[in-house]
Amino acid sequence: MSTPGAEAEEPERYEVTLCWRDGRETSLLVARDETVVDAAERVGLSLPYGCLYGACGTCTGKLLDGTLEHRAEPRALKERHREAGYVLLCLAVPRSVCRVEVGATVQADLVPNPWK
Amino acid sequence: MSDAETPGGHTHEHDPDHEHGVAGPGYTTPAAMRTESGREKTAFVMGIRVGMDVDAPDFVGVVDVDPDSPTYAELIGTVEMPNKGDELHHFGWNACSSSCHAEGMTRDHLIVPGQRSSRIHILDASEPRELSIERVIEPEEVFEHDLSAPHTVHCVPEGKIIVSMLGNREGELPGGFLQLDQEDFSIDGHWEADLGEMEMNYDYWYQPRHNVMVSSEWAAPKTYYPGFDLDDVEAGKYGDSIHIWNWETREHEETLTFGEEGLIPLEVRMMHNPEETQGYVGAALSSNVIRFYEEDGEWDWEVVIDLESREHPDWDMPVPPLITDLLVSLDDQYLFFSNWLHGDVRMYDVSDSANPRLVDRIWAGGNFGDRQEVAGHDIHGAPQMLQLSRDGKRLYWTTSLYSSWDNQFYPEIGEHGSLMLKADVFPDEGRMELDEEFVVDFGDAPGGPARAHEIRWPGGDCTSDVWQ
Ligand code: FES
Repeated sequence: MSTPGAEAEEPERYEVTLCWRDGRETSLLVARDETVVDAAERVGLSLPYGCLYGACGTCTGKLLDGTLEHRAEPRALKERHREAGYVLLCLAVPRSVCRVEVGATVQADLVPNPWK
Repeated sequence: MSDAETPGGHTHEHDPDHEHGVAGPGYTTPAAMRTESGREKTAFVMGIRVGMDVDAPDFVGVVDVDPDSPTYAELIGTVEMPNKGDELHHFGWNACSSSCHAEGMTRDHLIVPGQRSSRIHILDASEPRELSIERVIEPEEVFEHDLSAPHTVHCVPEGKIIVSMLGNREGELPGGFLQLDQEDFSIDGHWEADLGEMEMNYDYWYQPRHNVMVSSEWAAPKTYYPGFDLDDVEAGKYGDSIHIWNWETREHEETLTFGEEGLIPLEVRMMHNPEETQGYVGAALSSNVIRFYEEDGEWDWEVVIDLESREHPDWDMPVPPLITDLLVSLDDQYLFFSNWLHGDVRMYDVSDSANPRLVDRIWAGGNFGDRQEVAGHDIHGAPQMLQLSRDGKRLYWTTSLYSSWDNQFYPEIGEHGSLMLKADVFPDEGRMELDEEFVVDFGDAPGGPARAHEIRWPGGDCTSDVWQ
């Protein structure tokens, strides 16, 4: 929502669309140096989180489209999770327009019940 | 005299067993607490929203457990934390019966850590029905000491509070023990002088008269936080040992390694009698109860209860019971523990401590329980955190374990919240009965459903108090 003439000072921002599993979708603008969790908080949207430093996985989302980068080591994700597109939204900053699956149930995909 | 609702002020000047003549916030002996304290009237219960699509923080709930009250068995108050995402888990008092030498000290503050956020809240609990947040220690202050993931809180003699910490500032091993000052709740730094061989941490208990502390092992926060993965067990990322510490010098002295027989040793409970040098630890994954003890100056251990996995028609592999919590009654006569994956809570007579005898059990919820609802409320989850009344006649429990593990094994908790239930215990007859009238549904908590976790009584309980 930049005002004319202000673009030069403002950091680059990308539209990130959050997709909940119940079908709800919301888009917001996330700056290059802002995490998706922070951006969501800023606009009053609730995303799950816990540690806020990449250890717990509570904020796990799944990248459906676009590019997100982790700005620190995403310790809660194993190699197989990273390859499958899971991202930690407390560390993820946008590098393009993105679509991300969000909500508390995404985290539960990481580790299924091992006995079942 | 009862100090259940007005903690503190108990004097024990004339107790022949305890001749220090100094008033403190607790009871002279476990027997005094058991017989003199009166019935619990309110319960503090952790309410957790982490891992749920509920736009609200965690809370400490106040449950009315006074049968004469019009709001009996209701959640009569909640104190929400200032931030979301804490995962409140275990909590403790600023003072307990071990603080008998601390003049002027009262049991009036709860130390409430966030397991995921590493934020530590200090609550004023001088009026049990009017809890309020007094101070918050922010995660950054904790990370400065290269620690994270706070777990067990005990007050300890000499005006201190110790919190076991499961990780370093990155959520990796080894963690350690954070020491707080009992007066102003400032961080002193690490409690331990030397971690020795301790690489993982979880719960701990201490017996000051014998200069010993015993700690157990879960895993690195980054390992257990996201959920339970058998690959991590195979890779040796979960604990299988307990640690013996010199309480005075704060040095690690010895590791007792259980191996396959003691995978994921969680809660540590020593006997309440301060003369005793023995206790139990529940190995969750191996589903064994292990007795550890000192004999002729040597520490040793033995499996005293060994539970079997069970075939489930819809599951591929035999399901272990998963012993997640245990406690010992104040008279050291009964041991209670919960099997969170199976769905039962058990009562053992441990008067012969090396030979526990199963006397009763209750099935409620879980993957095998016949009873899946109480008073019209579906039981989401299974018996988990336990708390026993001081007189040993009422056992209460909640059904949630840990947000990510709940979501993996009982996903309905994430949607509907969990319950607090109760059984009446008849210690003289060695049996217990589910109270079908008592149910507190945290699915109906104000602000949205929540997971119910640890329970404490104003005035102290079986899992908070230690005697000097
Ligand atoms: S909130 Fe813990 S990993 Fe993002």
